[in-house]
Amino acid sequence: MIVMNRKKYKQLRAIVALFVSALVGLAVVRDSYLLASVGVLTGMVFMALVRSKAKIRTDERELTIQEKAARMTYAIFAPTIGIAAFLMLLPSKGGISVFSKGEWLYIESLGMVFSYLTLFLIAIYAISYHFFNRKYGGGDNEK
Amino acid sequence: MEVATMRNELKVFRARHSLTQEQLADKIGVSRQTVNAIESNKYLPSLGLAFKIARLFKVNIEDIFSYEGEENEN
Repeated sequence: MIVMNRKKYKQLRAIVALFVSALVGLAVVRDSYLLASVGVLTGMVFMALVRSKAKIRTDERELTIQEKAARMTYAIFAPTIGIAAFLMLLPSKGGISVFSKGEWLYIESLGMVFSYLTLFLIAIYAISYHFFNRKYGGGDNEK
Repeated sequence: MEVATMRNELKVFRARHSLTQEQLADKIGVSRQTVNAIESNKYLPSLGLAFKIARLFKVNIEDIFSYEGEENEN
């Protein structure tokens, strides 16, 4: 097992991403779906192999930063998309269009998509919270 | 704040053992930035990492890390 630190892993990932994007670019120029698919698949398989064969050493401070960033992203994104969905669905209820000047059908559809996205986001959060709560000894099963 | 009530002597121990931040980071399996953040009290290491550091310098955790808050502080 090869031990690789996070920095080296990121460098390798950047090189693979460059390679894949070059191949996809070439595929677009040549109008070849096959080349694009092969390029993307090769990159995915290579990175999967690296992750399975090499032990990637993750820095605990980096994990803390990622946790905080994820929490902040959720705290900002969930209410934003929820309020946006609510506002987009408002015109269809009141019969007046606030945003779309008569084309509120599309806005309403987008509002529906946003609503389900909000529900999906909250559901994922609740499920992962429940999972991690159990993993780290939460619950009422006192011994 | 939690970070403000913790103090550490990591820099002193590192200097005593003639280690650079990079060398110490390699020995305990973290990045140089993490060692720097711990030394400047911007980041509190996990208990596991604190034990690793203490074991590396062959001292107790309390010799390196100290808590300077109130007794009944949460």
